[in-house]
Order: sequence, then C-alpha cells, then structure tokens
Amino acid sequence: MSGALKPILIAAGLVVLLMIAGEMVSPGFASPEQILRLSIVAALLGIVAAGQNLVILGGREGIDLSVGGVISLAALVAGNVMSGSDAGLFPAILACIAVGSLIGLLNGLGVTLLRIPPLVMTLGMLGVVQGLLVVARNGIPSGRAAPMLSDFVSQPQWLGLPGILWLWLLIGLAMAGLLNRTVFGQRIFSIGANEGAARLAGVPTRVTRTLLYVLSGVFSAIAGLCILGYSGSSFANVGGQYMLASIIAVVLGGTPLSGGRGGYTGTMIGALLLVVLQGLLTTLSIDESGRQIIFGSALIVLLLFYGRSSGLRG
Amino acid sequence: MTDMHKAYGATKALTSGRIELFPGELHVIMGANGSGKSTLCKILAGSVKPDGGTITLDGRPVDIPDPKAARELGVSIFYQELSLSKNRTVAENILARDLPTRAGLVDRKAVMAQAAQVFAPFRDVASDGFSMAARVGDLRPDQRQLVEIAKTFAGNADIFIFDEPTSALDRAQTEAFFKELDRRKAAGAVIVFISHRMEEVFEIGDRVTVIRDGETVSSAPLAETTRDRIVAEMVGGDSGASVFADPPEAPAPGKVRLELRGVSSRRLRDVSLSLHAGEVLGLGGLHGQGQSDLLRALFGLEQTTGEVMLDGAPIALPSPRRAIRGGFGYISGDRQTDGAISGRSIFENVVPIHLFKSRQHILRRGTLTAEVDRVLQILATRHGGTGLPISSLSGGNQQKVIISRWLMDETQVLLLDDPTKGIDLKTKLELFALIRSLADKGLAILLYTSEDAELLANSDRILVFNNGRIVRELAGDDRTRLMLTSAAFEAA
Repeated sequence: MSGALKPILIAAGLVVLLMIAGEMVSPGFASPEQILRLSIVAALLGIVAAGQNLVILGGREGIDLSVGGVISLAALVAGNVMSGSDAGLFPAILACIAVGSLIGLLNGLGVTLLRIPPLVMTLGMLGVVQGLLVVARNGIPSGRAAPMLSDFVSQPQWLGLPGILWLWLLIGLAMAGLLNRTVFGQRIFSIGANEGAARLAGVPTRVTRTLLYVLSGVFSAIAGLCILGYSGSSFANVGGQYMLASIIAVVLGGTPLSGGRGGYTGTMIGALLLVVLQGLLTTLSIDESGRQIIFGSALIVLLLFYGRSSGLRG
Repeated sequence: MTDMHKAYGATKALTSGRIELFPGELHVIMGANGSGKSTLCKILAGSVKPDGGTITLDGRPVDIPDPKAARELGVSIFYQELSLSKNRTVAENILARDLPTRAGLVDRKAVMAQAAQVFAPFRDVASDGFSMAARVGDLRPDQRQLVEIAKTFAGNADIFIFDEPTSALDRAQTEAFFKELDRRKAAGAVIVFISHRMEEVFEIGDRVTVIRDGETVSSAPLAETTRDRIVAEMVGGDSGASVFADPPEAPAPGKVRLELRGVSSRRLRDVSLSLHAGEVLGLGGLHGQGQSDLLRALFGLEQTTGEVMLDGAPIALPSPRRAIRGGFGYISGDRQTDGAISGRSIFENVVPIHLFKSRQHILRRGTLTAEVDRVLQILATRHGGTGLPISSLSGGNQQKVIISRWLMDETQVLLLDDPTKGIDLKTKLELFALIRSLADKGLAILLYTSEDAELLANSDRILVFNNGRIVRELAGDDRTRLMLTSAAFEAA
C-alpha cells in the first residue's frame, strides 16, 4: 500500500510547495479566489485524465491521443445544440456523450479487433476529428453555452463551490469504486498486468479494453461540455492542450504508462499539480509555447526518474 | 566432441556428452526426453555455450562461442522451431544467412537464381502455390519446413544438424529430403540427425549414438544394433529409480466424461480418446508431439475440426470463456506468460474464474477473502497475506495460487499442461497428491508433463503421441519407462 501511496504524497507535497512559492513571487497567488479558479481548471483537466487513466491502466501500450479532438468536437456539438438556451442543455449533454462514445468505440474496436497500436489508432482518430472540426466550423467560432452550464462551471453553488468541483469529486468517488469494488475494475487491472494470463482466467479482454476507450471518449466529451461552459463559446481547437496534460497528470499520479497498477486518486492530485505549475508559470509571464516546452520535458524527466525506481515504463 | 557438459542452474542438461562424427556418414542421436541430445547439438551449432569439454575438428581443437563461429567452421543447423521470417520471400529466407549483393545492395536476380538452385532437389515435391517469390507466411507448414531444410543446406557447410526435420513432411517430400542427404553424404558431408521415428532412423542412419541423462552411453553402426537394444540403452537399467511411486492402481472407471472423435488442428492429427470421471489420463511421447496442442485446443485456444463431447453432448470450444463455462480448467507450466497476473495481488490471482462463473459485478472482498483463504489452505500455500503481490511468492507457491483458481467452483475436466515445470520437488509431490485427490472426487484429468517419471507415476493410462497422432495407449503393467520410450519412437 505504501508503494502506491508514495507518488500521491510526493505530488500533494509539490502542490503545497508550489502554492507557497507562488504566494512569495506574487502575493495573492494562494488567495481563496485564485485557489477556486485553479481548482476549476484542474477539474476540467481531471475529467479528461479520468478516461486517459483508464486507457493507460488497461496496458498493452494503451493511450488515448484523441482526447483533445473529442473535447473540441463535443464543445462544438453541444454549443450548437443548446445555442445559449437552458432548454437545450439536456439534449446537448446527450449529444456530446453520444459523440464521445462513438469516437471511443471506434478507437476501441480499432485497437482490439484490428489490432492497431493505440498510439497510431488514436492519433489517426485525432487527425480525422480535427479535419471534421475544420469542415464543420469553416473557421468561424459557433455555438454558445447555456447560462445554466456557465453557472455550473464557474459560479459558487453548493457550500460555496461550483457544481463542476462537486462533479469532479463524484467522478473521483465513482472511479475509486469502479476500480476497487467492481469486477470490471478487477478486469482492467488484470488485462493491464498480463493480458494473456487474464484471458486464460476468463476475462473478456477485448470487450473490457474496448469499453475503456469508450469511457475515455465519454469523459473527454463531458470535459468538452464543461470547457464550453467555462469559456462561453467554442473556439478553435479548444481541447488541443489537454492531450499531453492528461497523460502527464496520470503519470504524475503514479499510474505507470505500462498499465496494470495505479489509480485515479493520484491522477486527481497530478491534475492539480499540473494546473498549479501552469498558474505559476503564467504568473512568471512564461507564454504558452514556453509552458509546452516545460511540460514536454517534465514528462520525459518523470518517465526517466520514476522508470529507474519503480518500472514506470514497464 | 568429448566430455561436453552443460548445466542450467541446478539442472544438469549434459554431464558427459561425447560424439565422434566421420565424413560421409549420417549419424543419428537417440535419447529420451531431457537426455541432453538437443543440448549437445546446440553446443556444436554455437547457440549454447558449454561449461566444459573439448571439440576437435579435423584433429584441431576448436572453440565455438557463437552461431557465427559455427557457420565459419562449416556447421549448419536446422531449427525445429522454424527460424523463417514470414514477411520475406522464399528465396530471401533460403539465403538469409548470406544474401548475394552487388555494390552493397541485395542483388535480387542472384538471390532468385541461387535460391532456386539450392531448392532444386525439392522443387518437384513442393506442390501447388509454391514459388521462389512467394511470401513464407502464405505457405503451408510442409512447404515452410522444406524452405527451412533448404536454408540449412545453403552455403558451404559440411556438417549439417537436423533436429526432427520431417515432422510436417509427407512421404514424397521425406524421400526427396533423404535423397538429398545421400547426395551430401556422398560428397563427404557429415549429417547429425535427431528423429522421433525409429523406422526412419534404421532407414537412413549409418551410426547411432545413444544419450541418457546427459551422458553418452553407446555409439555403434546401426547395422550392428537393434531397435530393442537402442530403447533399452535409452531407458537404462535403473528404470524404477525415481522419487515417484510406481504407477497407481487403475481405479474403477467412472462414466465417460470427455470424448474426442477425430480431432485435428494445425498440429493434431485425428485424435480420438475417451476420458472417464475420476481418471488421470497421461499424454506421453517426446516433447512437442502435440500434447500441449491438444490441451490448448480443448481450452479454446486453437482451432480444431472433429467432435468433442462432454458428458455425451457435443460441445464447441471457440474460446477460453466457453471452455470455462463448459467446465474445463487449464493450468500451464508457463506461469509468467499464461498463469500469473503479474504485479497483482494473490487475491486477484485467485478470484477471476469464480467472478466469471458466478456472473458477479460487485467485488465483495470480505466474502471472497474467506473463500480465497479456504482454497489456498487446501494446497497449504505459504504466503504473507492475500493482499501481497503474487510475485512475492516462490515459483511453487505461485503455481499453487494459480491452481487454487480452479478450486473455488466446480470444474469437470482439468487440463494440465506441464504444470510442475520449474517447481521444487517437495511442491511437485504436493501438487500430484492434490491432482490424485481431485480425481478421487470425480474430476477427469488430462495430464501432460515433460518428465517421463512424473507421467508414469501419476497416470492411470498413458496415450503416447508422435507427430500429432496418438500411436499407442499404455495401461496397467505396460506403464514402464521401457514401453513409454519404445512407443515414443513408434510411427502411427
């Protein structure tokens, strides 16, 4: 148990350290309003990372590079279905979950039935979705969030916290329950640890793996909906920055890229850590390109560092 | 080669291997399972490094540290496990060790021409769909084996080693191969031959060296020996000397649980058998003659034709899940690939079969843990808690955990695929005691083990396999090492 807990504690410690450092560099960095704002951004990333986490846990080089595309597409679809009215919110939710599960299903079938490596399959899917976005949008931002959705994401609601934080917490509980208290969760770990042996032990390996990609699509779509609420309207490639970030959050949280062990609680802390780091870099006026460089390097360093000690790369 | 020896850890594969090879002869090496005949050949081919001993070639001592050095000395080996690249053409595969080049690039025309020349003796027997430009992956098994043989002959070698080269070949193909062997012999080559067919050995062999328990026990011209003498030498005098008891008394047979009629697959040929409730049916013969393939086929891992009947009703076995639902259980000796869900806990390694059979969705850890403890106790599995990773256990205890999977719910037919591989002796005895007690409770058990002594000591009947077929059934007093070894070399 201590082995699984260690990365989580390290990440949590780093979050606190970064907050203190931020407060010292720029007073107000750790103010309650700022913490709330960072938490909302972390929730958005955390929801995407939930799906990424499942796919990575399932092993066999599981990874979902199409999350950014799904987020953008879901935001576009939802924005146009609701087009600024609360009445359209429910159909919009259904529409974007449908979009997410369809893309996830295609990813899953490609990986399991056609045996396309996940990296190639989901990267290809990302290309397809991005192409669709260009065609659908024609370069013009379109669709507007319903007021109810915007409030849900950014206005304090229950106990002073916005709905999205409650949603994130709920997802956290659901993921923990799924992974530790259901047979499905058991199957995810077993196919991640040794797919061949799992198959001989009666685990429906293909169905399980396909479902992981479907769930990843659904989580990305939900995140896309919330991001629409956060920004008010859907702009081009809104999901682009989430691909790398979601993978880093999972790895930071102690789930190795080789799969088979780990969990979502760590990933949540990982998402927080990443967002706080991003906030700090912004405060230090390092621009987006600089942040991407730092994130990319961070992932490589992390893999190197964890890989030596605990076989993070498998 | 004199006084060759080789140990793998504590296992002495070869203690005193000796063989003399003369130009222009076909030298057969005979030995029972695990005698060390393959190890001796691999040392000569450079793919296994000996721990000691001397190799003399044309009066000079030589050192063969790797396969490349062996080839430079003129040694070429045929690999039983095919060494071909499926995505390359026949011609490229035949010449793979030394592709002709022009200006640093592969000379395709020369490749085709040279390969065709090497393959010429087999051209007439390769039959339809075969050409030098065909992709090896598209060929039938017999055609692939011919390509493998041609690959062995390519180049300038004068010592050829063949380990079971004719398993996939039909009669005409085998004859073409033998003719080519004669031609090479006449040209002064040495041919080392390992075979699983006694009649084949007497048909083509000049001399025979018999190896037993890692030691060369005899070497003689085939004209001066007999089939019975070779078998006796392979078995040795101390056939009863083993830690295992004598064969069990056959119990009163229960009703027929499993019946196979004419089951064939990629590796199996027309296998028919019946297995009774309460019976341990052993699968014997030399290694890799279809025993594992039969067990894997019954567990839904290989496609088959023919009929499988469970308790009198036909059953289809397209996948492990269907086999498990039907009441089959499968335990492999390859724990790392087929058994252990590595990195996960002991608990998680015991429960999957139960979870699948009971169609549960919620994991009730409390109730399950009690059950897991119960089945682990049946085998006296030593562990420090079911939450610890399975990798924290010794090999024997890991195997106990994997076996425990099948004890949580009822299993009708247990398929044991070399279940005691790499396990200490004490645990082995415990496992066989469990297997017997399961049989006494009415389970039907198919047992394959790579050690003949284990097979003889624990089987009620033994079916002897040769090249995918059942060639003999041994029951009652026929279950001796002598009979088993003799039958292993019998053709169907």
